[in-house]
Amino acid sequence: MFLPKHAEIFEEPSCDHNAKKEKAGCPKPTPGKVGGGCTFDGAFSSLVPIADAAHIVHGPIGCSGNAWNNRGAQSSGDKLYRQAFTTRFLNNDVVFGGEKKLYKAVREIIEEYNPPAVFIYQTCVTAMIGDDITALAKVVEQKTGVPVITVEAPGFTGNKNLGNRLSGEAILKKVIGTQEPKTQHPYNINLIGEFNIAGEFWYVAPLLDQMGVRLICSLSGDARFHQVAMMHRAQLNMMVCSRALLNVARSLEKDYQIPWFEGSFYGAKNTTQALMTIAEHFGEPALVEKTKQVIADEYGLIEAELEQIKARLKGKRALLYTGGVKSWSLVGAIQELGMEVVATGAKKSTEEDKQRIRELMGEDATMIEDGSAKALLDLYHDRDAHVLMAGGRNQYTAVKGKIPFVHVNQERHTAFAGYQGFLNLARQLDKAINSPAFALAKAPFPAVS
Amino acid sequence: MSDELIVKDHNQVFEEEVFQKTFADKKEFECGASEEVVAQQLEFSKSAEYKELNFGRKFLKINPAKACQPLGAILAASGFDGCLPYVHGSQGCTAYFRSHFNRHFKEPFSAVSDSMTEDAAVFGGHKNMYEGLKNAMTIYKPKMIAVCTTCMAEVIGDDLNAFIGNAKDEGYIPNEFPVPFAHTPSFVGSHVTGYDQMMRGFLFYFTKGKPKAATNNGKVNIIPGFDGYTVGNTREIKRMLDMMGAGYTILGDNSDILDTPMDGTYRMYDGGTTIEEVSDAHNAIATISLLGDSTSKVTKACVEADWEAQYMDITPLGVDGTDAFLMKMSELTGKEVPESLSIERGRALDAMADSNLYLHGKKFSIFGDTSYVEALVDFYMELGAEPLHIVCTNGTKRWGKQLRKKLAATEFGKDAQVHDGADLWHLRSLMYETKPDFLVGSTYGKQICTEMDVPLVRIGFPIFDRHHLHRYPTFGYQGVINILQWTVNTLLDDLDRKASDFNNDFVR
Repeated sequence: MFLPKHAEIFEEPSCDHNAKKEKAGCPKPTPGKVGGGCTFDGAFSSLVPIADAAHIVHGPIGCSGNAWNNRGAQSSGDKLYRQAFTTRFLNNDVVFGGEKKLYKAVREIIEEYNPPAVFIYQTCVTAMIGDDITALAKVVEQKTGVPVITVEAPGFTGNKNLGNRLSGEAILKKVIGTQEPKTQHPYNINLIGEFNIAGEFWYVAPLLDQMGVRLICSLSGDARFHQVAMMHRAQLNMMVCSRALLNVARSLEKDYQIPWFEGSFYGAKNTTQALMTIAEHFGEPALVEKTKQVIADEYGLIEAELEQIKARLKGKRALLYTGGVKSWSLVGAIQELGMEVVATGAKKSTEEDKQRIRELMGEDATMIEDGSAKALLDLYHDRDAHVLMAGGRNQYTAVKGKIPFVHVNQERHTAFAGYQGFLNLARQLDKAINSPAFALAKAPFPAVS
Repeated sequence: MSDELIVKDHNQVFEEEVFQKTFADKKEFECGASEEVVAQQLEFSKSAEYKELNFGRKFLKINPAKACQPLGAILAASGFDGCLPYVHGSQGCTAYFRSHFNRHFKEPFSAVSDSMTEDAAVFGGHKNMYEGLKNAMTIYKPKMIAVCTTCMAEVIGDDLNAFIGNAKDEGYIPNEFPVPFAHTPSFVGSHVTGYDQMMRGFLFYFTKGKPKAATNNGKVNIIPGFDGYTVGNTREIKRMLDMMGAGYTILGDNSDILDTPMDGTYRMYDGGTTIEEVSDAHNAIATISLLGDSTSKVTKACVEADWEAQYMDITPLGVDGTDAFLMKMSELTGKEVPESLSIERGRALDAMADSNLYLHGKKFSIFGDTSYVEALVDFYMELGAEPLHIVCTNGTKRWGKQLRKKLAATEFGKDAQVHDGADLWHLRSLMYETKPDFLVGSTYGKQICTEMDVPLVRIGFPIFDRHHLHRYPTFGYQGVINILQWTVNTLLDDLDRKASDFNNDFVR
């Protein structure tokens, strides 16, 4: 039931690696090894930031119980996305099927909350017993008029990246293009794959405002359902995070002739490049001039302190272990600080991401495939690194190894995007590398005589 | 540095004009309801009418305060010496479990999965199991591997006993290599059920077919259960029993692996119950379960039926609870409770008396796992506090009925409402109906408490947003002092925060 459809998804023509026989960008996990998140997790985490929608997990308690409200994607208003809705599948449901339960549960959501839309997420169990959530969604829509979007990305399908992509399929099919903006504006853009972790996009949003560029939708950080529905009215798309939601950009290009480019808001250079690309796209000299001014003003704010920190960080070596896009987008930012990235994670990266890494770090760039605690620590010492930059599951391992650590994944609380975010990143690295607590731990225990 | 740029974080950034404008402009695309309608709806959600609607909910769970079986299973497994928890099923589940424990214990947590995918769903997961066991053994060099399952393996009906047997027969892992296991589908029970299944898996695996010795081994088995405070509690139990000189075996002692030192060495395994200890468990004097809900089904049956031994539930929380535990240990082992513990008891009582005025007559709501909640309610009633709402998402109807009956006969608990199976969205409605003085529960209670401005006393699992609480015992007389001080100081902080100028006293 899944194989043919997913095979199609893998055939992403914009992904270079799909020309090869081996789909290297979408690697299969190794049994018995420490692994990462699943397809469901990828799909759920990439759409849940749509803050005014209700997101219901159709599955047993674990899928929702272990996952709700634990990502740092911030919303400037609506909070419905923080509620954990689930059908909490039980034994009997496995035997008799869960469609009826899901139907009633969605009706109950609509009755209690009246959200602009409901997203239903399929999980391993409900997919395996064959619950037809798409047919059910149609019935609910007919009866209530509330859009119900189904996300068929059960965990066993594969890795997290695939989940991101499947979530893109879901909104392409059902959401984008269903609504028009009320007013016209000369310069409209979308961001794809920006999740507003720790509210970091809020260091960028006002810059776009000052430039005079209108953001229709950021998919999906601080997004609202209706914003997603209007995405087809942008004139330019920026792909921010990896190629995981590439299918959205490509589809918008094909169906609505919206060009797209890839960029990053990590690091001042990357941010400048992204903002200038946006400005130049519209071919309006006044916009370009204005943008240059905004960039100069904003960079002026951080320049003095940044230079001071750079002097302290110069030549320090970082080991970066994170999934997907950050493996290359952060590399640039760290290098801009005068630091060296001795190795970067590539377990979840696509072949394209890896190519980027090579461009930035040289052909011999070390890409980490084995993310186990021990392997990371060995590599850290082997390369004589000064700081480990990784996600929450590695934070405590690093501490055991007396290794300074900077949190770069979704649970972090510090915003790194834009110019002020870049200063935050520099400050965090500075604090980690020069922390008195780590100095204390490294000193030998006072000898007992 | 005086000229340092203040980079405002996401809490303050909205105060700036430029952000106000950005968000005002954004509203056009959001097509949301007007502020008036939103406010009206919010008010409605606090009303009695809404409560009725909310409690009429039959199919939907909103903000459930429970987790799934394998989470409990791998916590139990982590308490055995050199044991690698292994999850047969999809990899995402395991990633969630590890994150969960990382965030609660602020420690690394090792667990592997055999990453079943679509082909396994169609053809069965045996190949993943063979490869997985082999890889896990080669790469991580454990002394044993404890296997549990996710829903996926359960739905297709993978048989662990057969798979593990075949893996050994076909040479993927050596025949003598210990692989205790348990079936732990998420669609049955909760994390405490998983703990129960896995604990029974260990006990059964290491004692099956072994005849009982002629005399007992002079020790009492202690099972910690699914306890977010296992680090502090297990150490406290051991300390008290050492003071008594009573013999004991902690079955599933994860207090070391969940609290390793920062000394430059990463330990994948540390401490834990050894194979020798668990293999001798059936010869113990008796088995005491500290959290009955974590052992109530199969572990209890294993002790009583397979071992034909004595099993009992005693949660050593609160003064009565600790008394009961120590007296029982004394009775079972013939060792006196030493004077030093009586002194600790006296200190705990003294502390309770010191804070009494701030707690007596206070009304509280509470949610969490059944055994913990029950023990905490008992303790708060020792202080004269009155339970208003008791919510256990994983509580059964039978449990609810028994607790209601028990509370009806108490002075402070007779008006308490017990809601078995309810979720935190129900709790919100309850709290709007009758506002408590404080809420006791895990981090998941944060949303309600922030919204209603009710202080949250963080006791439970998971605690993601505060540090180090798990290092402190909630058990024993030390536990009494800890819970007491968390509670009274949370209330005093709240009092200070809300105090008007003239009441902002130095002395409380």
